Amino acid sequence: MVVGDIATGTEVLVIGAGPGGYVAAIRAAQKGLDTTLVEKDAYGGACLNRGCIPSKALITGSGLAHEAGNAEHMGVHADPAVDMGKMAEWKDGIVDRLTGGVEKLCKANGVNLIDGTASFVDDHTVRVAHGGEGQGSESIEFEHAIVATGSRPIQIPGFDFAADHVWSSADALDADSVPDRLGIVGGGYIGMELATTYAKLGADVTVVEMLDDILDPYEDDVTRLVRTRAEELGVEFNFGEGASEWSEGADGGYRLHTETEDGVESTYGVDRILVAVGRQPVTDGLDLAEAGIETDDRGFIETDDRTRSAVDHVHAVGDVAGDPMLAHAASTEGIVAAEVIAGEPAALDQQAIPAAVFTDPEIGTVGMTEAAAEEAGFDPVVGEMPFNSSGRAMTTGHTEGFARIVADDETGFVLGAQIVGPEASELIAEVALAIEMGATLEDVSGTVHTHPTLAEAVMEAAENARGQAIHTLNR
Amino acid sequence: MTVEEFRLPDVGEGVAEGELVSWLVSPGDRVEEDQPVAEVETDKALVEVPSSYDGLVEELFVEEGDVVPVGDVIISFRVDEDGAADGAEAEDADEADDAEAPETDADATEAPETDADATEAPETDADATDAEPPTPSGRTFAPPSARRLARELGVDIGAVDGSGPGGRVSEADVRAHAEGDETADGPTVGSADDGPAPKPAPTPADAGSDRKSAVRKRGASESDATGDAAPAPHADAPEPAGRDTTLATPATRKVARELGVDIDDVPTDERRDGEAFVTGEHVRAYAEGSSSGGEDGSAPQPKALDLDDTTAATDAATDATNVGADETVPYRGVRRTIGKQMERSKYTAPHVTHHDTVAVDALVEAREELKPKAEAAGVSLTYMPFVMKAIVAGLKEYPSLNSELREDDEEIVLKGDYNLGIAVATDAGLMVPVVEDVDEKGLFELADEISDLASRARDRKITAAEMQGGTFSITNFGAIGGEYATPIINYPETAILGLGAIEERPVARDGEVVAAPTLPLSLSIDHRVIDGAVAAEFANTVMEHLEHPLLLLTQ
Amino acid sequence: MSDTQNLTVVQAIRDGLYTEMREDDEVLVLGQDVGKNGGVFRATEGLFDEFGGDRVVDTPLAESGIVGAAVGMAAMGLKPVPEIQFSGFMYPGFDQIVSHMARFRARSRGRFSLPMTLRAPYGGGIRAPEHHSESKEAFYAHEAGLKVAIPSTPSDAKGLLAASIRDPDPVIFLEPKLIYRAFRDEVPEEPYTVPLGEAATRREGDDVAVFTYGAMTRPTLEAAERLAEDGVECEVVDLRTISPLDREAIVSAFEATGRAVVVHEAPKTGGVAAEITAILQEEALLYQEAPVKRVTGFDVPYPLYALEDYYLPSATRIEEGIREAVEF
Repeated sequence: MVVGDIATGTEVLVIGAGPGGYVAAIRAAQKGLDTTLVEKDAYGGACLNRGCIPSKALITGSGLAHEAGNAEHMGVHADPAVDMGKMAEWKDGIVDRLTGGVEKLCKANGVNLIDGTASFVDDHTVRVAHGGEGQGSESIEFEHAIVATGSRPIQIPGFDFAADHVWSSADALDADSVPDRLGIVGGGYIGMELATTYAKLGADVTVVEMLDDILDPYEDDVTRLVRTRAEELGVEFNFGEGASEWSEGADGGYRLHTETEDGVESTYGVDRILVAVGRQPVTDGLDLAEAGIETDDRGFIETDDRTRSAVDHVHAVGDVAGDPMLAHAASTEGIVAAEVIAGEPAALDQQAIPAAVFTDPEIGTVGMTEAAAEEAGFDPVVGEMPFNSSGRAMTTGHTEGFARIVADDETGFVLGAQIVGPEASELIAEVALAIEMGATLEDVSGTVHTHPTLAEAVMEAAENARGQAIHTLNR
Repeated sequence: MTVEEFRLPDVGEGVAEGELVSWLVSPGDRVEEDQPVAEVETDKALVEVPSSYDGLVEELFVEEGDVVPVGDVIISFRVDEDGAADGAEAEDADEADDAEAPETDADATEAPETDADATEAPETDADATDAEPPTPSGRTFAPPSARRLARELGVDIGAVDGSGPGGRVSEADVRAHAEGDETADGPTVGSADDGPAPKPAPTPADAGSDRKSAVRKRGASESDATGDAAPAPHADAPEPAGRDTTLATPATRKVARELGVDIDDVPTDERRDGEAFVTGEHVRAYAEGSSSGGEDGSAPQPKALDLDDTTAATDAATDATNVGADETVPYRGVRRTIGKQMERSKYTAPHVTHHDTVAVDALVEAREELKPKAEAAGVSLTYMPFVMKAIVAGLKEYPSLNSELREDDEEIVLKGDYNLGIAVATDAGLMVPVVEDVDEKGLFELADEISDLASRARDRKITAAEMQGGTFSITNFGAIGGEYATPIINYPETAILGLGAIEERPVARDGEVVAAPTLPLSLSIDHRVIDGAVAAEFANTVMEHLEHPLLLLTQ
Repeated sequence: MSDTQNLTVVQAIRDGLYTEMREDDEVLVLGQDVGKNGGVFRATEGLFDEFGGDRVVDTPLAESGIVGAAVGMAAMGLKPVPEIQFSGFMYPGFDQIVSHMARFRARSRGRFSLPMTLRAPYGGGIRAPEHHSESKEAFYAHEAGLKVAIPSTPSDAKGLLAASIRDPDPVIFLEPKLIYRAFRDEVPEEPYTVPLGEAATRREGDDVAVFTYGAMTRPTLEAAERLAEDGVECEVVDLRTISPLDREAIVSAFEATGRAVVVHEAPKTGGVAAEITAILQEEALLYQEAPVKRVTGFDVPYPLYALEDYYLPSATRIEEGIREAVEF
């Protein structure tokens, strides 16, 4: 029977339960706001389900297999066999635990959870369609909204993800077997992480990249190390080539066709093609126009430093709001959005957001490079500590790479750092703190770092910048 | 000694120029710092401009009456070496302060502060339209806690001086900066770039900030609604009761509204349900008492729901906004009361004015003769007592001019008393004290009473009772000057006699034109009650008695 | 301070039913879809599992039967809480309500009383078809022997419902479904009552007294906020019980201001506003400074939803009505 349309009222409506959305929802609820979180798929979003977490699981798994199989020099002999199905199962278990954890945390903080797809009816109302057996839909009237609908992999013409053998990153992370030959279109961080992973799992990896180097935003001396190592693992790189189409191969596999700018064509035999050329914001179906919000020409929702869109009471956080498209940026934005709504003086004034690439070796960066510092008007001083001088690095068997710190010569303020090498993703956190705190080189080098750790390299780099390194030659 | 130029300072937001109304100094005058040298008028107020220097006035660059753009040089000083302040240009901010400091005209100088306050209300940055401290786009060397504190305190962290190494900003630095702003400058007007928090100036003009109830409530006397009661001309009766709660039937409230009476002011002894209770009778009685004479205090103020008019807050505030030739004066208090009375009378009764002139040779003589006697009795004898007696003679013959029309009751009440009201011009406006029972009083008695009433009226010491109960009124505009007029009847009477100036005028007598003292008369009557013929006859009787004063003895 | 939960109106009603049923075994619920389905608005969700089919009874589609059966149960000592799915369907049961539910005590000279509470969602604003949006509380207020309660907040909903259930006489409990889920509020977990016949002051002010109830309370408060900006301070009184009216509260609020406005979504003629106007005229004529202004629905059948927004008193229409009263 028709019961009419009784709207549910809420103070804060969050659309999307990824690292931006669920964090925003929990913080809003913690601030005493009546919060409703609408998610159409799984809690945790892409990060938890199809990105950060599964990829790290596979990277660990593949890394472990590879390490174990290449440790004779340490006196460890092993020939590991990889059960991809089991690894996938293990990975899924982690994802489920985390997803369930997000749900529990939301409920524990008093967030109202609704399954469904939300679309704006006007700037204070959304309609949530309950897909599946729930059917029907309901109206939610909100005072404030936070759009956290995230992003999806970009699909290129001719490479429809629907085809079994054309993988998006999600598919690559959900595989239960290792393809013999893997073609990867795109040499960015996703492509490179997966290239390394699958190479270590035994696949024959070919990377096709339109630019002339991998990992475009990073400095040459950083990318060179990663590329060299990848090549050692057997990854083949083809630069300056763009993927044009695929065709079926004579051998039961497929052929990946590429073309250079000048029209030179190449073709590679593959069993799977992973397309990892970037991610685009998800806003279709949201009917943002009904709320008076437009997206820019790349599809992102423009926001100010308090995460507000053009409509004051509608915020956008995470990938849908643009760069940096990082999960921790999304979470930070989510917190700011929630606090701003709660009337607190929060703002996005983070001085630096660190980033990590989980290749082999890892890359961890934060803040400015030397060039960027110069451009910004600073007179940079740079210090470095190569890991081959680090005792601890030697004992891990991984000595490639370095820790580099960039500071302002005049004041000593730390401006940035680039770390390539073992645990770079962890090590970078220290420098992020230094930058946020407005620490100087003296502060960093004056802080005692445990010996023997990789972290010492950061301290040494700082000392090096001050011209007084003990364990390296000063510049 | 150097010669320093002084430019017209920016006296407040949006003011681009001012008129130099007057110079207070001349070239060669010695001036001290802060001494006012000119008066400048802006859109908002008349402002004194003080000297920034000790020294001599060197040159005046602007004429009185010129309109000067802000920033133009208006005067220069030959400055004493030690007494000089800093360079003129840099002083603009301080000069703006100084321009505000002397408060000769309390309202005027505060008005510009109002404007400045209005624009400086949001914190510091002119861009922060919603009072959010901006997030600096460059590198900030301050820990997150310090940055957050800055936002909380509304401080632009980019403007904070850091005490840490390299200029790092700590929480203490943020606090110091925030506090420093509050104490440093007082009413810093016009220097929006400094970004200090201005001291909120008391702004009578800014009535919008007063959350007064816009509903005229019971118990709210006129003073509440208008913010400042026009001073009551008389201390008491009929004393406005000024209650908070008054019970009355809706019908009674309607009557009160129509008569322009505040029901809470109507005196009553009746009570119902523990509260004062007022009937239509009470209301009418009170209204009559208050209306004859046009005083205020309990003055008719219609139920004023000034939902739009929040500036009804004070009288003082909106006095005289001087731009160009127009001057606005508040229409309230006694003035408005008189206005309403006149309106009611003129628009109710069809007025007809009958003019005539009487030769008063004999009257003049009579008065001359009586004067010494009067003086001896301490009485100032004017013509008025004679006129009043003559009027009474006329009224006795033509009682319809001594009456009241009660339209609702469909009756004309011919009054049994002869209570003549004498119009008196006072500072507060027209007042009409009443001399009762004129028929029973002698000339000297009348003269005495008239002068007493008139002087007390002018001193605003007259009571409402003394202005009630009139049956006929006299207005002697001739005392000021003039021959004829068309006086307005003093509601609810039905006739009024206006007296022109007694002067020598050409009169035709026995075929010759001679100069004789004449008294022009202007008699206005309510034609609903009195016809022109009757008016003429009445006038004739009065004139007869003035022409032949001896007839007054027969009254 | 005991524990509270953040509940919507319908959740609070459910909590109220649950609490009363737990406290008193004589309390039972009956109606269409209330049992296994948990109620079309979820007002009885979970009760069936908790208390079983003897105390949460799914009835056939038969309003007369539902009310009549409840009358019988109540006469025999039970405390039934029958639900009529939409107030618009009470008419088939009207005879039972008026001829029996209201009159048992009088008819039996006090030997029988009916401790029953008839619950029904009522009121408009939800884009529903005919029979799902009207407000006819006046019909029941006019019938002596019935009490009529209408909550406007979650905490009042639970408390008034409890008071109704515990009342030895019949109560019509109308639930404004527009606000079933519109907002959440703190509702104590323990059992408690909000007395019937007692109004609540939602906002203080001394310029005009505005009386309202149910879903109209929120737009009235919104109108009051707007008026406050113009210096008009409204005393907003939520009646909570329509019959008996809290005469004392109504009269004293009026005496303090001399002006009154009554807001309800029910049609104007013969509505609660008319009754209040009469009361004020009887008891406080001498305090009156302006006619009592009624801001109500119109004397038409409840319109189809394209016109609904014109029918229901909006904050703007309420604001204009209050201005009229205040500017008189």
